[in-house]
Amino acid sequence: MSELLQNLIDGLGRGSIYALLALGVAVVFGIMHLLNFAHGELITIPAYVTYWAFNNGWNWWTVVPLIVIVAVLSSLLIERIAFSRVRGAKDFTLLLTSFGVHFIVAAGFLLYVSASVKQIPRPTWAANTVAISAVRIELFDIVVIAVTIVVLAGTTWLLQRTMFGLALRAAAADFDTARLMGIKSDSVIRGAFALSGFLAGIAAVFWIMREGQVTPTAGIDPMLKGVLAALIGGLGSLRGAVLGGFVLGLAEVLLRSWLPIEIQNLTTGFVFVMIALLFIFRPGGLVSVPQVERV
Amino acid sequence: MFPDARRDVLFPVIGSAVLFSVLVGGGMLYQTIIGNGAAERLMTTMLIDAIIVIGIQVYIGNTGILSFGHIGFGAVAGYAFAVYAVSPEEKLKRIPNAPFGLTDTQVGPTLAMLIAVVVTLVFAFIVGIGLARSGAQSGAVAPTVITLAVLFVTHEVAKSWPQLTGGNRGGVSFAIGASLDKRWPILLALFAALLGARLYGQSRSGRLATAAREDNLAARAMGVNPLVQQMTALLISVIVVSIGSSLRVWQIGSILPDRFFFDYAMLTLVMLIVGGRNSVTGAVLGVAVMTAALELARRLGQEGFEIFGIGLDQAPLDWVFRENLNSIVLGIAMVGFMIWRPSGILEDWEFDRWLYRRLDRDEVEPERLVELDEVPDLRFSASDISVSFGGFHALSGAGITAASGEVVGIIGPNGAGKTTFVNVITGMVEPTHGEFSIGDRSLTGMPSFELSRSGLVRTFQNLRMFGALTVRENVETAALVAREHRADRQLPDVDPLIREAGLWEHRDRRARELDYGNSRRLELARAAAMAPSFMLLDEPTSGMSDSESLTMIEQVRHMAATVGAGVIVIDHDLGFITGISDRIYVFDQGRVIAEGTPAEVQADPRVQAAYLGSMAGD
Repeated sequence: MSELLQNLIDGLGRGSIYALLALGVAVVFGIMHLLNFAHGELITIPAYVTYWAFNNGWNWWTVVPLIVIVAVLSSLLIERIAFSRVRGAKDFTLLLTSFGVHFIVAAGFLLYVSASVKQIPRPTWAANTVAISAVRIELFDIVVIAVTIVVLAGTTWLLQRTMFGLALRAAAADFDTARLMGIKSDSVIRGAFALSGFLAGIAAVFWIMREGQVTPTAGIDPMLKGVLAALIGGLGSLRGAVLGGFVLGLAEVLLRSWLPIEIQNLTTGFVFVMIALLFIFRPGGLVSVPQVERV
Repeated sequence: MFPDARRDVLFPVIGSAVLFSVLVGGGMLYQTIIGNGAAERLMTTMLIDAIIVIGIQVYIGNTGILSFGHIGFGAVAGYAFAVYAVSPEEKLKRIPNAPFGLTDTQVGPTLAMLIAVVVTLVFAFIVGIGLARSGAQSGAVAPTVITLAVLFVTHEVAKSWPQLTGGNRGGVSFAIGASLDKRWPILLALFAALLGARLYGQSRSGRLATAAREDNLAARAMGVNPLVQQMTALLISVIVVSIGSSLRVWQIGSILPDRFFFDYAMLTLVMLIVGGRNSVTGAVLGVAVMTAALELARRLGQEGFEIFGIGLDQAPLDWVFRENLNSIVLGIAMVGFMIWRPSGILEDWEFDRWLYRRLDRDEVEPERLVELDEVPDLRFSASDISVSFGGFHALSGAGITAASGEVVGIIGPNGAGKTTFVNVITGMVEPTHGEFSIGDRSLTGMPSFELSRSGLVRTFQNLRMFGALTVRENVETAALVAREHRADRQLPDVDPLIREAGLWEHRDRRARELDYGNSRRLELARAAAMAPSFMLLDEPTSGMSDSESLTMIEQVRHMAATVGAGVIVIDHDLGFITGISDRIYVFDQGRVIAEGTPAEVQADPRVQAAYLGSMAGD
């Protein structure tokens, strides 16, 4: 019982990070139908900046805002340099553009920083545990879950209660009509990328704290988790993306604890297989967005 | 299987031979000029890459679905090949506890390759079902993510199942013992891959897959089941990729999980994209161009930049030219092509098709089609069709009948339920109640490709053609389906149909280049090529001028008569409908409010009320 509870908290902690990533993927997908394979770079770029910052005497208090700012700026910059030039192109083109961006950034770090692993000091409190009767919970998980709840609540408020949120939702529902109604496409798209970058920035803080290191290709893993979670939730649905993130996190942790020890390192493989099965039986994901075939 | 033996078999064979000679010849030339072992290895690698890229082209090019998973399939094939081909002594060192008694098994490389192909095919078939379920169609996102997952699962399994794969811990490579020292197996496989890819592209399945790539809905309306063609393309491409990957493992002499992962997937994709993913010639060109570009980048990175005898090693540019420069070149090539030339250098230009057009120029204008005297007497009937969306009744008990050779018009004001009615009898909307049939064959609940195979073929209000295909290929697609599913009817020849539609001079132009009127006529010709029992024309004159509408009347009647089809036509242009129809049904508020000859209907006071609304009461 206590082990299950422990796993649940652990899964929610992981799931929180995935949810933030997935939400960022879904916001961009909703607005320009771009599945962003470069989303993971919003973690590697801040991670390298963090590495630099620690070598220059910064500490976590100052680094955390730096990470978020760098993530937002990177997101905007990537949009400016690459995605703005393929706006309105076919999905095929969009997918490969984002894939290419991932590759350029990763190769850039490989060439101009180093192929080797760069260590980042983990915050000391992250390993602390809190004992509640028989359950020992990592303090880190609690912080992650709490911050995620606050961020998600804030995002909900932003989307539901502000003009920007309204414009974003309108553009996601029907981009052309939204433009005709006087919504500026440029600012909505940039806003979406900024929001996506902000969410990825929060996720990046936790990701970097948890991993404590970075390599040029470190972006693949978070990208994949974010994209898969968004897909599990049903692409295009923001609520689904958050749900998908939590489901993915829980599935990973629970599966790892249930699998026999010899095949435990196949957990990711099993998660993929489960996702494939989900798609075979529920092609639209958990929260399917009704899609009408237009004649 | 092939519409035209000369164009679709002979010329692809010639074309493949030429492409093969150019690629291999160019490679040998380079090898001779440079004359060292590194150049030879580079060329061998290029030829193997070419096989794999051609294999990927078969899937991506024909279906339009982006796949990262083919390198994952390659990993499965590579490991299957290695596990069977490696000698038991080697295996005892690397994988002493392999499952299924594999440690003691050894077969020759050819048989090992065959096993690799079979194993990978089984895996690909299962993945293919998943792809089909996820709504696979050109450019769709979900299937692409599934293929990405395939790449990661295979990599994960390769890493984490050391009993079978040797894993990758400590950089221990899963050596196969002897590496491939002859080049002929590679050459043989390359030629087979080229030929196979070109023949598939021109075959019935390839044509239908391409049609579905261009417009999934229109392809289904022409009796194509895209999922079947996508699966065929997947399996054929996986065979080629499996052979290529086995050769790759054989040539390197070892396999590691990372050899078939992200970087290689990226490399092969860029090669395909740069040359032009919709063309085999493009795939080959892309392999050559990218091999050259990356080799150049690698050298620049390693040896620094030197031009006109001035080394820039110490110059400010030095920081750019570093080791691994090729990987950033790869990324820039991909993003650059996506921004400036997303269809690649050659787009869908194919060498053998170009050759065919150069050599087979003089075509005579075909004979006119004669109208059929005798047609099977069939009856289309839809009765008591109701559709409700929530509480809203779009249709409540509407029904029509039509006989072979008859032209039946459906008319009604906006919101009368015409579109819903069309959606029901084209299989897009399930009726809440009611049935429709041709003769005694019920069509209710059939998917749209079954409907058109059963003889009810539609056109679209908003023009849906296979844009990248030529006019003739558009009509041929329908004819290919008709040959299989409408064989009991008298099938019209493709060329005369094109002439009847007034498109003879445009026959080799792409459908997307046609103007509006010609596009409409192409849709009509394409529908007629299905030898339909009934043609359903959805607003065939929308966007046309009055005089064009009038000529359309003649064309529709003539076209229908040449294939012996009845016509059901929906339009809101009263002049057109009364001009073309033998009988007219008037829809209003989801019901049929009047039926009869054009004169009877026009005289009907209920019709006047429905059409003119309150003005009739004034």
